[in-house]
Amino acid sequence: MGRLLLPVLVLAFLSGGPAQAADGPPGGPPGASSCTGCHAPMKVTDSVIPRIAGRKAADIVTFMREYRSGAWPSSVMGRIAKGFSDPEIDAIAAWFAVQPE
Amino acid sequence: MATRRTFLKLAGLKLAGAAGLAAPSLASAQGAGRVVVVGGGFGGATAARTLKQLDAKLNVTLVEPNPIYTACPFSNSVLANLREMSQQQFRYDGIKAAGVTVAETSVTAIDASARTATLADGTQLSWDRLVLSPGIDFDWGAIPGYDEAAAQKMPHAWKAGAQTVLLRQQLQDMRDGGLVVMSSPPNPYRCPPGPYERASLIAYWLSIWKPKSKLLLLDSKDAFSKQRLFQDGWAQLYPGTIEWVPLSKGGKVTSVDPATLTLTTEFGSHKADVANVIPPQKAGAIAAKAGVADRTGWCPVEPVAFESTLQRGIHVLGDAAIMGAMPKSAFAANAQAKVCAAAIVELLAGRAPPQPLLINTCYSLLAADYGISIAGVYRPDKGLLADVPGAGGVSPLGAVGGLRGQEALYASSWFRTITAETFG
Ligand SMILES: Cc1cc2nc3c(=O)[nH]c(=O)nc-3n(C[C@H](O)[C@H](O)[C@H](O)COP(=O)(O)OP(=O)(O)OC[C@H]3O[C@@H](n4cnc5c(N)ncnc54)[C@H](O)[C@@H]3O)c2cc1C
Ligand code: HEC
Repeated sequence: MGRLLLPVLVLAFLSGGPAQAADGPPGGPPGASSCTGCHAPMKVTDSVIPRIAGRKAADIVTFMREYRSGAWPSSVMGRIAKGFSDPEIDAIAAWFAVQPE
Repeated sequence: MATRRTFLKLAGLKLAGAAGLAAPSLASAQGAGRVVVVGGGFGGATAARTLKQLDAKLNVTLVEPNPIYTACPFSNSVLANLREMSQQQFRYDGIKAAGVTVAETSVTAIDASARTATLADGTQLSWDRLVLSPGIDFDWGAIPGYDEAAAQKMPHAWKAGAQTVLLRQQLQDMRDGGLVVMSSPPNPYRCPPGPYERASLIAYWLSIWKPKSKLLLLDSKDAFSKQRLFQDGWAQLYPGTIEWVPLSKGGKVTSVDPATLTLTTEFGSHKADVANVIPPQKAGAIAAKAGVADRTGWCPVEPVAFESTLQRGIHVLGDAAIMGAMPKSAFAANAQAKVCAAAIVELLAGRAPPQPLLINTCYSLLAADYGISIAGVYRPDKGLLADVPGAGGVSPLGAVGGLRGQEALYASSWFRTITAETFG
């Protein structure tokens, strides 16, 4: 592994490619890209679904857990949140938190 | 330059086995990143755009014959005069602005071993990965008497556009007291709750403009998506207007006569004033030509990158693919496309794509302000996308407190969001 380190750094520098590799898998952690079907990264006029890009990760985590347990009422989020484990929620929340608000 | 290329190649060989951090850039540096996307619907347009977003150096070509895409979701609202057709239409300017090359033509042949796609004018495109999202074609001939000419008399309106406008016109021209007959296909087909949303919204429109009219829904199935919710809604909103005839009670249409607008079942004949025949379906024709459709007419894929299990290098998305528990919907096609695009970036870099998690949600309207939904969460299991146990399900029965109205608002918000994400 030590022998590979140098080429890796050089390559990253040479190509100037997208940074997503360093931040995790391209397109975000598992599940995140399905959330954006309703919570788009861009601003959508006339949508009453709340925006979550750029929100604090801890807030997203709290919402997801409360939707999952039913502590917080919802129309659809409870049914969706039940499909996600704590680590999956944490990863998705961290990803949304660094998306531009 | 030669030295640098050699160096990159060598480094690439070493990196292939070790989860190298910068490998995606490597693929672009080598120029080995040509992706051809066939079909500019919810699956294809999303895939093309996402590929460019994830790796700007990829060479992405989207092939789609229509300059304007007409979306099916919410086209039932067009029938009920709740929306204009123009609100269903989207151009490819946003996709072009994202750096995708858009070829306004059809793909006529695909050679998986030579890795080429042939366009209508004979041009050949080479690809490292091909994404196929051609939607559906109809199984003409499955219902004797129902062919493309018959569809001008008895519209399917299951590909939105001229057919939607034709069916709307026929409804508007119908006398009050007329009979609308719909025929719903066997599984699997595009948009499982779609025929029942359509029956609801036609009944909604009839209740306002032609209140003496009735709707007969002939079904090739004994059960359907969100059935209790639909039937409760029909009883509450349109008592006596919609009669649903399941398979076991003679719902399966065995032939039609377009000249007399007659639909025949095993139990008898029904003469319609307006007939909407939604025929059995299969993957868009190019799928069979590419050798990725199996005997069912649909395309088997593995559940991580949606690569065909019949031809290497070809990924199939959306309605055309067999996605296990995931239904054929615009939401699903868009979600699969994003997973597939990210997986292709990994594959081109010589890495294994991660195990995905996907969501599907289908909203249906029973009236302008009455919405219901079905949701699911899916992950790969035994070679297919399977339901994550305990997740998903339908809106609660007997809901109070404005939930149906709220879901109708969320439905239109979803459509705005997904079309913004797909077409820009
Ligand atoms: C009445 C109705 C209501 C619906 N409502 C909903 C809803 O509320 N929510 C929901 O999620 N889904 C809904 N759907 C389903 C949704 O429309 C489809 O699931 C979705 O369009 C599938 O996307 P796709 O990319 O697989 O195919 P499509 O969107 O059909 O796109 C396929 C594209 O490929 C192109 N193409 C085909 N062959 C070729 C070729 N050889 N070369 C180049 N291009 C080609 C076609 O021109 C087309 O543009 C509804 C469908 C109907 C009919
Ligand atoms: C089908 C559309 C849909 C999908 C998919 C979806 N959401 Fe939601 N989301 C909603 C709606 C609608 C609400 C409002 C609560 C409700 O009624 O369910 C909401 C609310 C939220 C909220 C609370 C925001 C606030 O300020 O109130 C968070 C956080 C959230 N969603 C996160 C997610 C995450 C994470 C995912 C993916 C795992 C996701 N959502 C997928 C529709 C969706």
